[in-house]
Amino acid sequence: MLRAENLSMRYFRKTGQANHFYAVKDVSLALRPGEVALLTGRSGSGKTTLLHMLSGLLKPTEGRVMLEDTDLYALPDADLSRLRNMRLGVIPQGRSAVDTLTVLENVLLPRQLRGEKGDVDEAFRWLAALGIADLVNARPAELSGGELRRMAIARALAGDPEVILADEPTGDLDDENTAAVLSLLRRSATEDGKTVLLVTHDSEALPYGSRVYRMESGALSEQA
Amino acid sequence: MKKNTIPALIILLLSLIAALGSQTFLGACVHEDGSFGACHWACRAILGEGALLAVLALMALAVKRARFGLYLAMIPASLLGLLTPGVLIGLCKMPTMRCRMLTQPAMTILFGVMLVAALIGALLSRRGEK
Amino acid sequence: MGTANLPLKNLLRRPGRTAALVLLTALLAASVFGGSVVVGSLRRGLESLEARLGADIIVMPAEAESKVSFKNMLLQGTTGAFYMDASVLDAVRGAQGVELAAPQTFLASLKADCCAIKVQIIGIDPDADFTVKPWIDERYARDLGDMEVAVGCKVTAGVGETLKIYEQYTHVVAKLAETGTGLDTAVYCNMDTMQKLLAAAEEKGVSHRISSGSDVISAVYVKVRDGFDVGQVNNWLNGHIRKVTAVRARSMFTDVSDSLSGIARAARALIGAVWALALAILLVAFAMMIHERRREFAVLRLLGVSRRGLRGEILAETALCGLAGALIGVGVAALGVFPFTTLIETKLGLPYLTPNAGTLLRLAVGTVISTLLIGLLAGAWAAARLSRTDPGTTLREGA
Repeated sequence: MLRAENLSMRYFRKTGQANHFYAVKDVSLALRPGEVALLTGRSGSGKTTLLHMLSGLLKPTEGRVMLEDTDLYALPDADLSRLRNMRLGVIPQGRSAVDTLTVLENVLLPRQLRGEKGDVDEAFRWLAALGIADLVNARPAELSGGELRRMAIARALAGDPEVILADEPTGDLDDENTAAVLSLLRRSATEDGKTVLLVTHDSEALPYGSRVYRMESGALSEQA
Repeated sequence: MKKNTIPALIILLLSLIAALGSQTFLGACVHEDGSFGACHWACRAILGEGALLAVLALMALAVKRARFGLYLAMIPASLLGLLTPGVLIGLCKMPTMRCRMLTQPAMTILFGVMLVAALIGALLSRRGEK
Repeated sequence: MGTANLPLKNLLRRPGRTAALVLLTALLAASVFGGSVVVGSLRRGLESLEARLGADIIVMPAEAESKVSFKNMLLQGTTGAFYMDASVLDAVRGAQGVELAAPQTFLASLKADCCAIKVQIIGIDPDADFTVKPWIDERYARDLGDMEVAVGCKVTAGVGETLKIYEQYTHVVAKLAETGTGLDTAVYCNMDTMQKLLAAAEEKGVSHRISSGSDVISAVYVKVRDGFDVGQVNNWLNGHIRKVTAVRARSMFTDVSDSLSGIARAARALIGAVWALALAILLVAFAMMIHERRREFAVLRLLGVSRRGLRGEILAETALCGLAGALIGVGVAALGVFPFTTLIETKLGLPYLTPNAGTLLRLAVGTVISTLLIGLLAGAWAAARLSRTDPGTTLREGA
């Protein structure tokens, strides 16, 4: 279980009347294995900031992030990095390919960073499930935005993490691929018992979620 | 630009330096009495060998199908240039003569690099020939 | 963690970027290595000159040109001939504080057999000589006999050959070790041979007699006895022997060592400037490269590479570039300097003797290490800048 406890992210402004503002304010949240949580909200509402804090990439100004009994931000950088590598699968917004590696090498990377050889069969399985198995030896520069996005999803899943945190995973995808990706993520929660959080403002995603949260000006509310 | 044209470009440049240099800034001196020494004739030979390599390199650049064979031809051609000053054509005996101090080492380097470039070019083109 | 092959892949799959960085470091390494080899050769040349000279005072005829032509003979291998009466030697030997005094007699050949270049012929007295003889002894165990000559390493004739000087046949019995000075183009014989050559030259119309019937010498090399002041002995010789000038060997070459230190200073300044420039360019290049790749690095952090791991990755890339550049640079500089040794020596007009293999190896290793260090410095600086921005912020920027 991944828990956010009273998370806040406060930024300081250089000008203006108020000298600081909250991008995320006092958010508590519990993500459970086997569930797909959807996080919606307008752009600028703090969704991505919350996701980065949950991913161990952005230290909150207040509050804690707990993965089971581990307080993420109490760990030294090396241990936190290792935890991110072993237990979290993050799909960031935008391009996230390592350009000098092929698609296959990108997907193998999480396991290789652990010092493993990398599981080619597993990588192929995920790439095939996402419909880009024929691109294994291509370089990221040759791929379209949607293909890159699917590669990032395959890479996040290939490390076999406990938690999957995805920021607009269907943003660049057509309807057919959107459905394929969403059902794949849904299955990894229901069948493999993973904890999944999707940031989206795609209404098509709603049927795939177990719970739906909404961010508004940094505050979180759960929707019925 | 294909990778296997790079050695030909290098050889073209260096062979022109060797051919033109042998008659000018890398050339031999004329004796006080106006007669020519051995160095002068060595430089004339280098002019020809440099021109030969330049033509071979141009042909290799122009005719893709013949590239492998032309690179092979450049190997003995640059070897000939390498051996000309001092071995095939003797130079002046005094080590302090201009052709011994300047022409010979410069030509050794130029033709040596061309020899290596020709070998690399042949190696790179070999795969494309299949 | 297992990122060991990532730096190499990054470098090989971006050949343009890698080539630019390698070229830059190669330039740095080439200038450092080339410059220090030239400076080292000049320094060794001066040492070798001082060793060959080996005297405290040199006595020569008082004519103004004799000092200049003596110096040119030593430095550039030009020919020179000037004479004084052989009785000067006894006068010098009679002076207080003179431990050893050895005469030398010079003669310029008109033309040697080969390439229309004049050769300097130097007659020595094997019994008295203490400067040239140890040098000849390295290659020829006996004293030079009648019509036997030893030749400097840049004289064309080899051991066993015959050298014709003024229609006289001399036999080459030794080829001497390189000194990097004008002495390398000279021919050495004993005084008896020299007298015969002088007589033969006179028949050809080359006059050298001061007064008929007496022997001539060109210079006397003096070694001062321990406990005596070289300056005082020098002054005494100047004051008490007529028509000669005594010159302290050290003062003779002050302008040589001056121009040497001038060249060394210029070379050091040049190397320093190239270093500073290369460091600045490398800093900018790495900063640009890392800025351009910041999203890629943020992704690596996201996938679980620690700050330390990322720094290691960047340093490994810069170290590989630096090493390749340093090796190429040293190789190119070696090709540019060593084959042209004689040319550099001639153009500089200074003693120039390439340092021995051990010293060269030390210089090469030092160059590689210092170049590598600069690359690592630039890489470390860029990596430190990178770790100041957190990956979350980078990932939010547009793709």
